[in-house]
Amino acid sequence: MTSAELIRRRRQDVGPAIESVSEPVPGKVRMAVAPGAVVSVAKALYRDHGARFLVTAGIDSREGGNGFEVDHIFSLDKDKIFFILRTSAAAEEPEVPAITPEVPAAAWAERELQDLLGVRVEGLPDGRRLILPDDWPEGVHPLRKDMKYGDWPPLGDENAEESYPWKQAPEGTSTVVIGPYFPVLEEPTQLRLFVDGERVIDCDYRGFYNHRAIEKMGDSELTYNEIPFVSERICGICGFIHSSCYCETAEEAMGIRAPRRARYIRSLMLEIERIHSHLLWTGIAGHILGFDTVLMQTWRMREPLMWLCEKITGNRQTYGMHIIGGVRRDISEECYPEILAVVGKIEQEWIQFYDAVQGDTTLKARLVGVGMLPEETAKEIAVLGPTARGSNWDIDARADHPYAAYDEVPIRVITHPDCDNWARVVVRLEEVLESVRWVREGLKQMPDGPIMASDIPEEVPAGQWGVCTVEAPRGEAIHYVLTGGDNRPDRWRVRAPTYNNLQALPSMIKGETIADVPIILGSMDPCFSCTERVEVVNVRSGEAERLDYQELLARSRAATERLRGRRGGRPWQ
Amino acid sequence: MAITVLEIVLSLVILIGLAPLAEGLLRKFKAIIHSRQGPPIIQPYLDIAKLLVKEDLAPTDNWVWRMAPALCLGATVVVALLTPIGGAPAFGFGGDIIVFVYFATLSVVAIILAAFASGNPYAYVGGSREMMMALSVEPVMAIALFVAAIKAHTLTFGGILSHSATSEPSISMAVAGIAFLLALQALVGKLPFDIAEADQEIMGGPFIERSGPGLALFRWAMHARLLIFSAVLVSVFVPWPHVGIRGLSILLTLAKMGVFLTLVGLVDVVNPRLRIDQSMGYYARIVVFVSIGALALAIVGH
Repeated sequence: MTSAELIRRRRQDVGPAIESVSEPVPGKVRMAVAPGAVVSVAKALYRDHGARFLVTAGIDSREGGNGFEVDHIFSLDKDKIFFILRTSAAAEEPEVPAITPEVPAAAWAERELQDLLGVRVEGLPDGRRLILPDDWPEGVHPLRKDMKYGDWPPLGDENAEESYPWKQAPEGTSTVVIGPYFPVLEEPTQLRLFVDGERVIDCDYRGFYNHRAIEKMGDSELTYNEIPFVSERICGICGFIHSSCYCETAEEAMGIRAPRRARYIRSLMLEIERIHSHLLWTGIAGHILGFDTVLMQTWRMREPLMWLCEKITGNRQTYGMHIIGGVRRDISEECYPEILAVVGKIEQEWIQFYDAVQGDTTLKARLVGVGMLPEETAKEIAVLGPTARGSNWDIDARADHPYAAYDEVPIRVITHPDCDNWARVVVRLEEVLESVRWVREGLKQMPDGPIMASDIPEEVPAGQWGVCTVEAPRGEAIHYVLTGGDNRPDRWRVRAPTYNNLQALPSMIKGETIADVPIILGSMDPCFSCTERVEVVNVRSGEAERLDYQELLARSRAATERLRGRRGGRPWQ
Repeated sequence: MAITVLEIVLSLVILIGLAPLAEGLLRKFKAIIHSRQGPPIIQPYLDIAKLLVKEDLAPTDNWVWRMAPALCLGATVVVALLTPIGGAPAFGFGGDIIVFVYFATLSVVAIILAAFASGNPYAYVGGSREMMMALSVEPVMAIALFVAAIKAHTLTFGGILSHSATSEPSISMAVAGIAFLLALQALVGKLPFDIAEADQEIMGGPFIERSGPGLALFRWAMHARLLIFSAVLVSVFVPWPHVGIRGLSILLTLAKMGVFLTLVGLVDVVNPRLRIDQSMGYYARIVVFVSIGALALAIVGH
C-alpha cells in the first residue's frame, strides 16, 4: 500500500475529524485528527493495516497557542511507511483518550506521557507512575516548557517508596524482590516476583532509576550539533546507533542527506558495533548461566575489535564520529586490510564457538523451551530486534526502513521460529556472522568522495520534522525531531529497544522458575540506561573537587601501587 | 597411641589445612582455561583470613544462626577424621562408614538450618535448593559406600581397604565407583551443580546474609569437602596400586585426588548451571540405574 492510499482510506473512515495531513518526505506521513477520532484511527492502523506501534511523543506547544500535541508514531514495515497520528489537548487540564486498550504496545508510552508532560490519558488500564520517582511531587512535569532544565522541585514524602501501588501478591505466593541492585543486572531495575516455591506466578516492574533527562537537555540546553555527542552517551555499548539515528533524523528534518562515503562509514561502524555488542552479550549470557568460560573467551575474542575501533575513531566506545551532514573522520584505505583481518579472525573463532554451543546439551537444557514469547504476543507487545526475530517476526530497520548505506548494500534478516531463549541466542550468533559479511561487502563497495554534506543550511526553520529508525544490536531505536528556534529542536524524542522489550518480560517469565528469570531477562539483552536516557550530575562543591582524567588515573595508579608495594609485587607497567 | 595422634594430625593437616590450597589450585586451573591470569593460589587462605577478622553481621539473634558455622565446620572436621587417605582413617572404628555419612550430611544440614534461620527470601530459596540437592545426591554416595561395605562384609573403611588390597576388582565396585564419581561434582558444590548458591540467580543463596567469621567457617568447610570426598573416592574405589609404605600410599592418594579434582575443575569450566529440577532428575536417574544397579550386582556377588 502507498501512503496516498493509506491517507485516502483514513479520509473515508474519519474524514471530517482530520485536521491536517503532511508528508514532507515520501513515506513519512503525519496526520492530525480530532481527539475523538484518534482511537479509531489507531485501531484501524494496528488491526487493519498491521501497523506496528513505535512510540508516543508529547509536545508542549502552549507557547504557540496549540496546547499539548500528542504524536503516536506507527510503522507499516512492509510498505516502508511511518505514520504519525497527531492529536492535541487543551493547555489547561490536558487530556487525551488512551489508545492502549486497542493498541497494547502503547502502554508504557502513554504512562510516560502522563508522567513527563502531565497530559492525562483517559482510559489507561494501568495509570501508575512509570518514570517519575516515588517522592516526586504531584503536578510537576519535567518535559513541560515552563520547567527549566536543572530545576529541582521540593521533594515530597521521603518514605514514599512504601506508598508506591505495587501489585498485590496473589494468594499463596511469596514475594522475591530482584533489584534495584542485583549481581547480573549491570544497571538498576526492580522486579518483584510473586513465587510459589521456585515457580513464578506473576511479577511487577519498577524501573527508570537512571533517568538522566537527556530529552529535556536536547530541547532546552543543547544545539543541533551538540546533540550527536550527548545522544551517543545514551548507551555505553551501542551509543553509535543513537548518534546515527539522531543525525539521520535531523538531516531529514533539515532536508539534507549525508554523502555516500559518510553513509558507508556510518553503516560500517554500526556493523562493527553490532559485532562487539553481540560478543559482549554472549559473554554476559554465559555468565548469567554460570558459564564463565563463555564470558572470558568471547570477551577475549572481542578485544582486538575494540582496539580496531580505537584505531579508527580514537575510542573503544562512544566514537564521536557523527555530526549532522556526515562524519567527522574518514577511514583511510590503509586501515582496510586490518579491518578485514580483525573481523576475519572473529568470524573464524565465532564459527568454532557457534559449533560448540550447538553441541552443548547442558546449555540447551537451560535455553530450549524456556522464556517462550509466542509470535502473536511478540507482535502485540511490539518487541524489537533479536527478541522479535527470535519469535519468527522478520522486522529489522535495516531492511524495512533502510538508512545509511543499507539501501545499497542490503542486509539479510535472520529469524528463528522457536520463540524461546535458544532462538534469541541463535539469532544473535548468526547476526555476528552476517555483520562480518556486511563489513566485507561494505568495504568492497565503499565509494570515494567527501564525508560531509556541502548544503547544510545556516538557519533551520522551525516546524519541520523528521523521524528515523536505526537497528541497534538490541532492536530498533527511533528518534523523532521537531525543529524549533534557537538552533535547537523544539522536541527530540528517543526510544531505545529495551523500552519495548522489557514490557514483554512479565509474559516471558510467567510459569518459569526463579532460576530462569535472569537468563530470560538476559536473553533480551536489556539496556536500562538506554531505556531510561540520562542522568543529571550535580557537582556540589564546584570545580575544586572535580578530578580530571589525568588526576584520576594518577590516584588510581597510586592506590594500585600501595597495594602492590604491601605485597612486594612488581610495580605496575 | 603415638601413631594415632600422628594420623589425626596428618588427616587434619591434609584434609582441612590444605583444603583452601586445593580450591586455590582449582581457581588457577579455571583461570588458565579462561585465558586469564587468575588469583594467586593462596587466595582462599587470604580470603578466609580476611573474613575471620571482619565484623559478623547477623540479621537475627536466633541461636541456630549463630551455631551453624561452627556446627558445619565441626562436622566437617569429624568427617575428615573418618576419611581414609590411602589407609584406614585416623578415627576408624566399627561402623565408621555410617558415622561418616551422617556427619557429611550434618554439615549440609547446618547450612540449611542457618539459611532458614536468616529470614532472607533468597536464603530460603537457596536453603530449599540445598535440601533438594542433599536429598538427591547423598543417597548416591551412601549407596556407593554401602556396595563397598557389602563386598568387604564390613562397615569400616579400614576393612574395605584391606579387603580391596587382597581381592580382585569387581564389576559392582566399578559401577559404584562411577556413581560416586558422578555424585562428586554435586557433593563439592561445583558447576553445573552449584545451584544452591547460584550467585547470578539468588546471590549466594544460603550464605547471602553471612559475613565475617561465620562465612569464613562455611567457606572452609566447603573447601574441605573437595578433598574429603575425592579422598574417599580414591581410597575406596581406585585403591591401586597397593604399596605397603604408609607415606608413599598417602602421596599416591594425593596424586590420584589431584587427577579427579582436575576432572571436577574441567567439568566446572565447560558447563553452565543446571536448574534444580534438571539436576534432581539427573541424580534420580543415577540413583535408580547406576547405584541401585551396583547394589544389585554386589548382592548377587559380582
